[in-house]
Amino acid sequence: MRTAQVIMETGAHAAALAVKCARVDVIPGYPITPQTSIMEALSAMVEKGELDARFIPVEGEHSALAAAVAASAAGARVFTATSSNGLLYMHEVLHMASGGRLPVVMCNVNRGIFAPWTLWADHQDSFAQRDTGWIQFHCSSNQEVFNTVLQAFRVAEQINIPVMVNFDGFVISHCFMPLNVPAQEDIDRFLPLHEPEWRLDPAHPSSFSNVTNAAEYASFRQMLSQDIMASIPLVKEAAQSYKDITGMWDGDTIDTYRMEDAEVVVLAVNSMAAELRLSVDILREQGIRAGLLRPRLILPFPAQDIIDALPQNAQVMVLDRNYNFGHHGGILASELKSVLFGRRHDITVKNRVMGIGGVDLTRRFMADEIRAMLDE
Amino acid sequence: MLELRINGFGGQGSVTLAHLLAQAALENGEQGQALPFFGVERRGAPVRAAVRMSPATIYAHSQCELPDYVIVMSEKLTEAAVSEGINKNGTVIINAPYPLKVEKYPTWQVDADGIAGEKGLFSADGLFINVPLFGAACRVLNIPGKVMEQTILNKWPGNGGSNLDAAREAFKAVRLIGT
Repeated sequence: MRTAQVIMETGAHAAALAVKCARVDVIPGYPITPQTSIMEALSAMVEKGELDARFIPVEGEHSALAAAVAASAAGARVFTATSSNGLLYMHEVLHMASGGRLPVVMCNVNRGIFAPWTLWADHQDSFAQRDTGWIQFHCSSNQEVFNTVLQAFRVAEQINIPVMVNFDGFVISHCFMPLNVPAQEDIDRFLPLHEPEWRLDPAHPSSFSNVTNAAEYASFRQMLSQDIMASIPLVKEAAQSYKDITGMWDGDTIDTYRMEDAEVVVLAVNSMAAELRLSVDILREQGIRAGLLRPRLILPFPAQDIIDALPQNAQVMVLDRNYNFGHHGGILASELKSVLFGRRHDITVKNRVMGIGGVDLTRRFMADEIRAMLDE
Repeated sequence: MLELRINGFGGQGSVTLAHLLAQAALENGEQGQALPFFGVERRGAPVRAAVRMSPATIYAHSQCELPDYVIVMSEKLTEAAVSEGINKNGTVIINAPYPLKVEKYPTWQVDADGIAGEKGLFSADGLFINVPLFGAACRVLNIPGKVMEQTILNKWPGNGGSNLDAAREAFKAVRLIGT
């Protein structure tokens, strides 16, 4: 391991730097608050010649992902980024990327969805794309954003499935903090150049994405479903290898804090899960044996790792920053309950929705909420 | 972990002030975080930013609700800034042209406007008061003068001149008004 350089950067620029370190070939981009500073940084790097990539400005997010899909099919390493309604506008093409087995990596800067307009963080945008066949990470710090973009390319290209790296708008994207940037040689060792098994090539014409008959279509969909599940060991292997090379670790499919003797387990994702470490400390001082379980990977949902991490008879307090419309509460709670059903009868699940549209989630507020949930 | 909140008006440079303080923490061998609150910005509207400094990794990502220090970029905001919340043992740093004391809290005062004008830190539509306020805050936070200077030189390589002068002047001039 070579000495990492420590710089001060925002989460958005941490993402852009990771893309540069990943030596991407093509970056189609369309700006949307609060993702814009990722695209600004990348276009500046290309313009200055610091990054040997093609930056393609387009007229909307549907085209941004369409260009990413085409470039990926041509064998390029491709990155794009979006947020909120931009991600929703990509919805159709998200399916094209996963069904076409194209290893695009995209950052989604989590922001609440219109209407009414909001600029600030919640998780409805990425959770609404749960069924599009993308692998989804959710990150809790600037450093984790940087590390995860690199891990995402490795996993995506190993299994030919696109990966979405999510992190909170403003709270992470515009938060200015120390960032360890490993030596480029170490990153190159972790992430070798992209060598696809197949690519569209005018010199060797072939067709891509033809109409299939029912049996062929069913077989493609079955392979996609199976391979999404098969990405779990690859995610773990990428996290471990990244740690071996850079010394940095954010967890693999999950990250845990003070879980050893926990009776009350708090489960949440993204920046609120970082703040929740402090809430857990507050609850511990008050005599409540609290711990934190943060899924980094929410698709595929790391069922076995969560089941293995939960202590006997634990009460799980799921804090959702999204709504599961048509049900009470949020989507994470629903995912957790479906995993526990028939497997862990000893676990109690409680759920609250909070932080919608950027409502500030302080350590004291969340500790108070969790304490109140104990009495429900 | 030390928590600070900056209360200012849009256009006064609160984001840069927050970045300078976080950078100074790193320069001082600690961890630093600047977390400005971004709204629908307008010049002249009240704005705020959170700053944290800690010897250990910073996990907090909320705005500082009960900060240890409140930096008030204009004395007109003093009452509003303090009423947003402050630690009961908190300290206030105010940019004001005259000595000013906030009841119950140790209060430091510096004439950042005066210093910025004297050192020629003019912006398109006013004064760069964030640099003198950075100098004053370093003094109050016991951040060494050398760290303050190095942070400014890192931010504006080769162009620290009047910024350095203004920060040094505020470092010397900031006064504890009474306890």
